[in-house]
Amino acid sequence: MLRPSGHLLEIHPAREVPFVLVRTDGKVVFAEADPGFDYDDDLEKAETAVAATLDRGLFVLERTRRFELRTHASSVEELLDHFAVTEAYDPEEKDETMQRFRDAMYERAQAALDRPATSRELIYVEPARMSRLTPVSRPGGSGRG
Amino acid sequence: MAVRTDPEGTEKVSLFDLADFTDAEVLEIGCGDGRLTWRYADKAARVTAIDAFEEAIARAERSLPDGLRETVRFQHIAFEEFAARTDADAFDYTILSWSLC
Repeated sequence: MLRPSGHLLEIHPAREVPFVLVRTDGKVVFAEADPGFDYDDDLEKAETAVAATLDRGLFVLERTRRFELRTHASSVEELLDHFAVTEAYDPEEKDETMQRFRDAMYERAQAALDRPATSRELIYVEPARMSRLTPVSRPGGSGRG
Repeated sequence: MAVRTDPEGTEKVSLFDLADFTDAEVLEIGCGDGRLTWRYADKAARVTAIDAFEEAIARAERSLPDGLRETVRFQHIAFEEFAARTDADAFDYTILSWSLC
């Protein structure tokens, strides 16, 4: 499907645990890793798929960038409602123990949000990687980018 | 405050650092609700955005900006089926949008 001059862009979470921040009046007053992060198996599948593509000589990896995808909300309820919608398409069973740790973390985050302040926001930070791969049929070609 | 995803634009900056979508034919696999699609579609000649989850595609179509209706086409379809129906050499870019995991 990809033209010989084309590129494949692949985006997936990095192997770093996402974390939650609370910022009030411009200062970070709460920062904790997401204890409910349990995507190791999925990440391995993604990385294995990319590695297999490279090993088979179909593509070469040209460049990779790391970035952080940040989701901002005004409360824990608002953030979790948002994730409930976006994750509803592909639901995964959560480990009960992890879920308890996650609930406790969000309680602490909400407590930080509830302290007196003029401005406040909750931020979920998800480290991610974006890679550009190019078909091997055109090494050094004059394609886009 | 409504939930905002990537108001800093770091995902978009990374995307434009790795790709030039000007007049490009783009396939986005796993487009979800179109969150990433809106970031680059105005640069592209045409975007075909697919997802296997029907509700995600319905949500993407509902929030498709009027200015992109001529450019973006959403399809509820699994990748394997889409690939079987699609010609070789159809796209300048294929984006695997958080879809390998």
